[in-house]
Amino acid sequence: MSETTEWKGYLLSYSNGSLFLQSPYIHDGLTVYGPDSDSTTMAVAGIQYLHAQGQKFTTIRLPNSIDAQVVYMSTSVDSPQRNEELDDEVVDWHLIDGEEATLVLSQSNDEHFEFVEPSGTELMDADLFKDMNAAWEQECSPQHVSQGAYVSQSQYHEGGAARLSLASQKFAGKTIWPPRQMDFSGARLPPEDALLADAATVESWTKLSAAGAPSEFSLRAPILGGVQTVLVKFEEGPRGVFLVCDDVDYSPRIGDQVHFGVRRIYAQEGLIRYGLKAIPHSV
Amino acid sequence: MIVAGDGAFLDSTGASLGLRAESNRLNQMLVHLRRVMVDVAVIGAGQTKYGNHQLGLKGMWAEAAENAFASVDQNFDPRQVDEAFIGSVAFGGGQLGNTAALLTEHSGMEGVAVRRVENACASSGFALRDAWMAIKSGQADIVVAGGIEKMNDLSPERKRFWLGVSGDTEWERLAGLTFPGTYALMARRHFHEHQSSHDDLVHISVKNHKHGFENQQAHLRKQVSFEKAAGGFMVADPLTLYDCCPTSDGASCVILAADHVVRQFTDDPVWVRSSGAGSDRLALHDRPSITQLVATQKASKSAYSAAGITARDVDLAEVHDCFTIAEMIATEDLGFADSGQGGIFARNGEGIRNEGSVCLNPSGGLKSKGHPLGATGTGQAVEVFKQLRGSVESERQVRDAEIGLTHNVGGSGATCAVHIFGRDRNE
Repeated sequence: MSETTEWKGYLLSYSNGSLFLQSPYIHDGLTVYGPDSDSTTMAVAGIQYLHAQGQKFTTIRLPNSIDAQVVYMSTSVDSPQRNEELDDEVVDWHLIDGEEATLVLSQSNDEHFEFVEPSGTELMDADLFKDMNAAWEQECSPQHVSQGAYVSQSQYHEGGAARLSLASQKFAGKTIWPPRQMDFSGARLPPEDALLADAATVESWTKLSAAGAPSEFSLRAPILGGVQTVLVKFEEGPRGVFLVCDDVDYSPRIGDQVHFGVRRIYAQEGLIRYGLKAIPHSV
Repeated sequence: MIVAGDGAFLDSTGASLGLRAESNRLNQMLVHLRRVMVDVAVIGAGQTKYGNHQLGLKGMWAEAAENAFASVDQNFDPRQVDEAFIGSVAFGGGQLGNTAALLTEHSGMEGVAVRRVENACASSGFALRDAWMAIKSGQADIVVAGGIEKMNDLSPERKRFWLGVSGDTEWERLAGLTFPGTYALMARRHFHEHQSSHDDLVHISVKNHKHGFENQQAHLRKQVSFEKAAGGFMVADPLTLYDCCPTSDGASCVILAADHVVRQFTDDPVWVRSSGAGSDRLALHDRPSITQLVATQKASKSAYSAAGITARDVDLAEVHDCFTIAEMIATEDLGFADSGQGGIFARNGEGIRNEGSVCLNPSGGLKSKGHPLGATGTGQAVEVFKQLRGSVESERQVRDAEIGLTHNVGGSGATCAVHIFGRDRNE
């Protein structure tokens, strides 16, 4: 048995080679996901945690409730659910999606696991829970379509690895992120083959009111009181802009250190767009 | 030495030097050379009032074109136009294709070679540049540059979709950014790097509302106090409502002519002394600095050089102040203030009409006059044309104005066009 660990906004406990993950939020006596989390985002966090602990597996069996493509783009861990050519026999790890906002990652075929009840849970505001769920339900409807310019599904997938895992290019001694196509001489740049470190410094920030936020966020921004964005500089040099995780109570300052977790960004045409959001180190 | 129209070489008295350009090729080269050297003038310019229009695209454009035609001193016939360039984002997508052909069809320019020019908010700044180049290239003598946008006939949600289409959608939009957010990031960083403050932005807002109050064509004709502007509703922290331009409907139209035909239309032309343009990386985070616009620096450097002037020679400038921070940064990038000193420039009232060192946004700028995206660039030229000819409302005339500048930026600075106008031609 191990103690509870907080990791990218989730509660973890590790026991006998298996990892238990739980959302920190409780509503009506049940464990529930936060405003921009779901089983896919927590699955990604679990795999990233195991990788950080030295468990370098490359395949996993996933339930249908998890977006296997997002898991692959975020962690490079493939699954039979995404890749039909993957030999199921070589897949050691599997993920079990709990009835509440819980997951287990394990190499064991046991059907029952015992973990320490995680500490650090908190009650979720009832109105926030209800309103956010209703907003996501409406947003995830296939009828919720674009009214103009938007990030198409193909465009979203093209930049998926860079967006979800910070995959970057190395060229002429420099790190390039987000990926670019050509250099100044017109030569094609190499594909992304390195990951930026999961650490950056805030160089500027803003909080857009609900009225000023893009319409993709029009259902949820009023509930959250706007959307918060940081412009950060990575240790390797590139800069990027990221939303701050919805469930973080945080007022940024220039110079703050942040790291990143995969979260829901928005949904359109029945597809949830996931991306990295900033989490301050102090939280 | 003079080259006659028939290719004969003459001395300064007009006597033949006994040489003649015999070949057609040489003749063509000489004609081309003469036209490359051609100067370009604005002979007419007009616009609609900016604001919430009941008129649609066709009606607004006809009004702007009619005002431009009427401003030409001698009779102007739109059938004389050789080419037309019309800037528009085609906001809302209502007439996304063949926008320009629809407009010329309804303004007496049927059959004219026309195209829509799109460079976000700099669409008609680039339409003006393209029109200028068409004459400079020798391919046209009379060219129309214009712009139009209809923004206020959309639902609020649909409007917000379109307000963010000119950034790097894949990265900036997924990070929750529309332009208020993008410029807010620039403002906060400017405060951090240069000890500027939101109060400096408030000075810009108050100034532009003061200038626009007297402009009958302006969208927001109301003065605001420092206290009111400082305490406005927060749109994108640190930018308040009074830091942001309105979304406006409007159209603008400018008529350019080659020097050899100018006198057919007016004895009082305004000369386009130069055109400069530049671009930069689309996404803010891909730029080395977010407190300066390289596209503006490139465009203005080129324009000043070609006109043979410096920023100190400019009497008035229509500056792209989609947000007050944009004017503060432009003040530096255009050379009116040193790098990082835009806040002090604003604080000291340097841009106030007939008080400061140069009048910035005598029309009220985008902040007060309004910002119908595609119409803004040529709308700036309309203001400079009138100011240099002394034909604006008397109470807002910039005294002794000889040289004016327009600065039109696309998005958060990915594109920029700068034009310099003068009462006199380049020496």
